[in-house]
Amino acid sequence: MKRYFLTLFISALVGLTMSTDATARKKPATKAKPVATVGHKQVANADLAEARLMGIYQLMAKAQARDALAQAEQLVKDHPHFQLAQLVYGDLLAARTRPIRMVGDVPESMLKDGAPVLNQLRDESQMRLKALRERPPPGALPSQFLALSARNKHAIAIDASRSRLYLLENRPTGLTLIADYYVSIGKSGLSKNAEGDLRTPMGVYFITSNLDPKSLKDFYGSGALPINYPNVLDNLRGKTGGGIWLHGTPPGQFSRAPLATDGCVVLANPDLMTLIQTVEVRTTPVVISQSLKWVTPNTVRSESKPFEEALAAWQNAKSSGNMDQVLSFYSPSFNSNGKTLTEWTPALRSELNKVQGRAIQLKDLSLLRWTDTADTMVVTFGEVTGGTRTGPTKRQYWVRQGSHWKIFYEGVIG
Amino acid sequence: MKLARTTLFTTLRLLTLALACATSAAYADDYGDVSQLVRAGKLDEAMVKADSYLVSKPADPQMRFLKGVIQRNLGKQAEAIATFTKLTEDYPELPEPYNNLAVLYAGQSQFDKARAALEMAIRTNPSYATAHENLGDIYARLASQAYNKALQLDGANAAVPPKLALIRELFTPNNKGQHPATAALAAAPAVPVAKPSAPAPAVATAVPAVVPSATTISAAPTKPVAGDSTAKESRDVEEAVQAWAKAWSAKDITAYLGAYGKEFDPAGQQTRSAWEAERRKRIVGKTTISVKLEKLSVTVNGAKAIARFRQDYRAGALAVSSRKTLELVKTGNRWLIVKESTGN
Repeated sequence: MKRYFLTLFISALVGLTMSTDATARKKPATKAKPVATVGHKQVANADLAEARLMGIYQLMAKAQARDALAQAEQLVKDHPHFQLAQLVYGDLLAARTRPIRMVGDVPESMLKDGAPVLNQLRDESQMRLKALRERPPPGALPSQFLALSARNKHAIAIDASRSRLYLLENRPTGLTLIADYYVSIGKSGLSKNAEGDLRTPMGVYFITSNLDPKSLKDFYGSGALPINYPNVLDNLRGKTGGGIWLHGTPPGQFSRAPLATDGCVVLANPDLMTLIQTVEVRTTPVVISQSLKWVTPNTVRSESKPFEEALAAWQNAKSSGNMDQVLSFYSPSFNSNGKTLTEWTPALRSELNKVQGRAIQLKDLSLLRWTDTADTMVVTFGEVTGGTRTGPTKRQYWVRQGSHWKIFYEGVIG
Repeated sequence: MKLARTTLFTTLRLLTLALACATSAAYADDYGDVSQLVRAGKLDEAMVKADSYLVSKPADPQMRFLKGVIQRNLGKQAEAIATFTKLTEDYPELPEPYNNLAVLYAGQSQFDKARAALEMAIRTNPSYATAHENLGDIYARLASQAYNKALQLDGANAAVPPKLALIRELFTPNNKGQHPATAALAAAPAVPVAKPSAPAPAVATAVPAVVPSATTISAAPTKPVAGDSTAKESRDVEEAVQAWAKAWSAKDITAYLGAYGKEFDPAGQQTRSAWEAERRKRIVGKTTISVKLEKLSVTVNGAKAIARFRQDYRAGALAVSSRKTLELVKTGNRWLIVKESTGN
């Protein structure tokens, strides 16, 4: 029997030994957190269902069938609706009577009705394994997070190619990965364009609210965190649709297939609960990308330099009160909540009159870069005029035109 | 190593049994009578007899076991479960009550409990073939339950409980070696066939299987009539038994079933046709089967013969080594199996 396991599962589980390291790396990060973040909300013990499943895979790869079976039995007892765990449990039971050739080696008779779900479960298994094999390098951060202010206590980055959501904490020492979860996205994948296209948007977003689970249908599970799709860039590109949430799973389903939603991002309920308890409404950015690029903090600093210079130039122009100079930073395609640049200029003029040549300061600056066919920057800051203590929190969207950065949106967000 | 362990288990079991039925030989007829009533389907009568026996010997494991079988056959599942559960508590070293408990649980689709019971049966007796086969069926059933949950199928077609083999009798004290008289008789090869109506056919041929290989060999030459013809018959029986194992290995179901005589009486209350159907299902359904015989010893007495051996059975992941005894009868020029029993 043991021999079967060796030959049968080895192909399915190639690289699992690497994931041992990955899991090992992951744990200290989570453990270290309470020490490093006194006074912060603590990440509740992330649900261990996936880690347990991976432990079972490892036992299978090591041909420890009996232990694997015992652990699988316990796992499905704790999470009866974890379909992938049930599948693996079924394999481990079946392996006691016949050879198992692959993950989900179900009897022929079940394939007629079960094949679509079986393929989804195999995809889910692969995605979970892939995310654990291909870990972000230690200390690295997604390239979109050029700068986060102290007000952005957390950041979320979603990598569709790994069906994974990464939760980062903004510590004094830098952005640190504290947890990551398997997620499901739209049935048709990423790059939402139109309402009903069953796609999940790609871009830089923010969590806009935390919906009371009592107000939600069972379908959404333990809660929902809507994001601001369509954002300014999406609107400019004529994208439609809305109601994109990060939400949980229905009571009868622990997790869903990698491509399963109408456009939302879906997490297992225990994972979503942790997320809800950890992140902040409005200030937590959510980057959704086909494949995240993890870079070192140094790379980020050097990449943000040209933009920071452009931003400083705009700041100087505004401090000087020179209207023409200030206007040169704004793109002809500028649009602020429906107002064209011409329509918006009087508002800018009255602002400059109030500043009266006093220096303005940018507090709590955050820079989020989104690059696709265009290179854009989502900039958030508190604009404080010299002599005053506070000012409005503003958000600007910039786009790079050659070597120049231009503002195509500006507005007060609170 | 495995053999030594089996022997140890056997010894432990026998010790328990010997203690439990120090006077059992005297009661052998009671067991036999009850068994025969069960087999004849006279369950109420069997129950009355079992109950009256248990009044004087309430702890007697054999009769309690029979009572459990009667309860089960009467459809009193809960009572049967209670009886077998109590037996497992009082005699945890006996595998048969665990096996039957598993059969009852499986009948109620409580496969997890059935599995736990069968695993206990195997723990107490690692070479217990029936429990291994039953456990294989339970694993397959649990696997399909899990698969149904995984694939979100309703699993309606899997609702029929698997048919597991019930053990009908616990052991046969009159055929055991613990009684000095029986032990002496075991040396005479004619004994088992000389008493063809021996009341309890029995699963457990434990002692005969351990002792005789030596005794029968030495016994044969001393037999006065033993001559070339007996030696030839002995070879023919051996060949018949090997052919049976070969047909089984080859999944040649026709040849396999053809090895059994008309008089063959399947274990349990199965009819011959139900037994054949079950064997067909269990043999044809396997991907590969290998049956190898070791330490084959044959005793011939006229037109009857007994073959004892260790059977190494492999099918898929399942590998069971167990003691087996076949009784054969010469029919025309062929030796056909009329009784098959497994023990350790």
